[in-house]
Amino acid sequence: MNLRELGVVFPMQPVAMYSRDRCVTGVHGLDEILRGGIPYGSTVLAAGTCGSGKTTLGMEFLVRGANAGEACAHFTATEPSVKLLENIRQFAFFDMNMVDTGLINVFDMDVLYSWLGLEKSTFDLEDVHSLIKSIVDIVNTIGVTRLVIDSVTTLCYKIKSEQLIRDFLFTLGKKLATLGCTTILIAEITSATENAHWSSFGVEEAICDGIIVLGDVERMGHLLRFLQVVKMRGTPHSRAKHAIELTPLGVMLTPMLKWGAISDNVNRWGS
Amino acid sequence: MVTASTLIPLLQMFEMKGVYISASRGAAEIIQAFESVGIDVSQIQFIDLVSSGILGGTNVPYSNVHFVDSPIMLESILLRTLYILQTNQSERNFVFVDSVNALAIYNDDRMLAEYLHTFINTFRQQEVLSVILNVPDQTPPLVLSNLDLYCTDLVDRGQVVIH
Repeated sequence: MNLRELGVVFPMQPVAMYSRDRCVTGVHGLDEILRGGIPYGSTVLAAGTCGSGKTTLGMEFLVRGANAGEACAHFTATEPSVKLLENIRQFAFFDMNMVDTGLINVFDMDVLYSWLGLEKSTFDLEDVHSLIKSIVDIVNTIGVTRLVIDSVTTLCYKIKSEQLIRDFLFTLGKKLATLGCTTILIAEITSATENAHWSSFGVEEAICDGIIVLGDVERMGHLLRFLQVVKMRGTPHSRAKHAIELTPLGVMLTPMLKWGAISDNVNRWGS
Repeated sequence: MVTASTLIPLLQMFEMKGVYISASRGAAEIIQAFESVGIDVSQIQFIDLVSSGILGGTNVPYSNVHFVDSPIMLESILLRTLYILQTNQSERNFVFVDSVNALAIYNDDRMLAEYLHTFINTFRQQEVLSVILNVPDQTPPLVLSNLDLYCTDLVDRGQVVIH
């Protein structure tokens, strides 16, 4: 007979909980939302409308990693790297020395396509595998631990089948995770309302370990940026909408007012 | 003058730095009024919520003025204030809101009450002194009752009434 059967009452004991190691984003407020950061090796989809702060968030994630001595890589498909760096230089958190010293490595997807002989409008299975291999090789060679692909939407426009997009993202995510690389895939969406998909092709969101949505709340003709962590495997997290501000010090977050979190017109952006 | 008499001891006796959130008038006008009574505004960063709504209003000759598009962007005001405090090299800071009545013109009562609750608690947690200017008989009852609940001191035209 054990003690419980004898009616002995045990006070509540703290249970030793397993907690995954975190990749501390360094973004003001985001690590609090994620209760410590993104679980290491995760592939996170940062889906947002235009001007919602996706690129800044991605770049700050890399800069904070580089500040801690991590090797970081940014694959840009939406704008040339020169233009990206010019735009990001206005932020005080960014230091061009990080690029010069190789802590932050920026790659133009167009140049990568050219190297691989993929200067074509659509990719087949073989092309997709060759692209994955080259990204993984770069990550492996440099020892990248933080990666941003901006944007996966632009990249996936070249992949015509949903199944192939799914394979591409799943294989890429799996290979990067084995290398210990935490990845942010930036996705462009046209709507961030409750009825919207979190990705353009509808498959990215299912493959990724986490989804961060960025968008705007319209309040009396003004747009307020918001960020919401919809999903993050391996960590408890807040799912509340947070207002964000892009300051010279980086992205700053605060919980959005409950009475002000709904857009005046939820149907804007054509949803 | 009520504003000036509240700010002078903070700046001169306690050597504090601070953020002045101006929702009632443009920051340039407030700076000129302070300077005319001999207040040194170099230790104050102003967040102007009025001038962006006026074409050409943001063209001011002061480097310590920040602009937020509208008084309805309450979260942006909070984040801008936090940003300024983060860049301020001071351990003793204040935040001055001028005024609840001006914010009430643009914002729903419930949202303003919620905002002031968040605002006061955020800065209390950071040990920043919050000073909130208010004309009680022109304040929505819901907002006023919340202010009564959360504020620790009441200063009535320079006279401490409740401490």
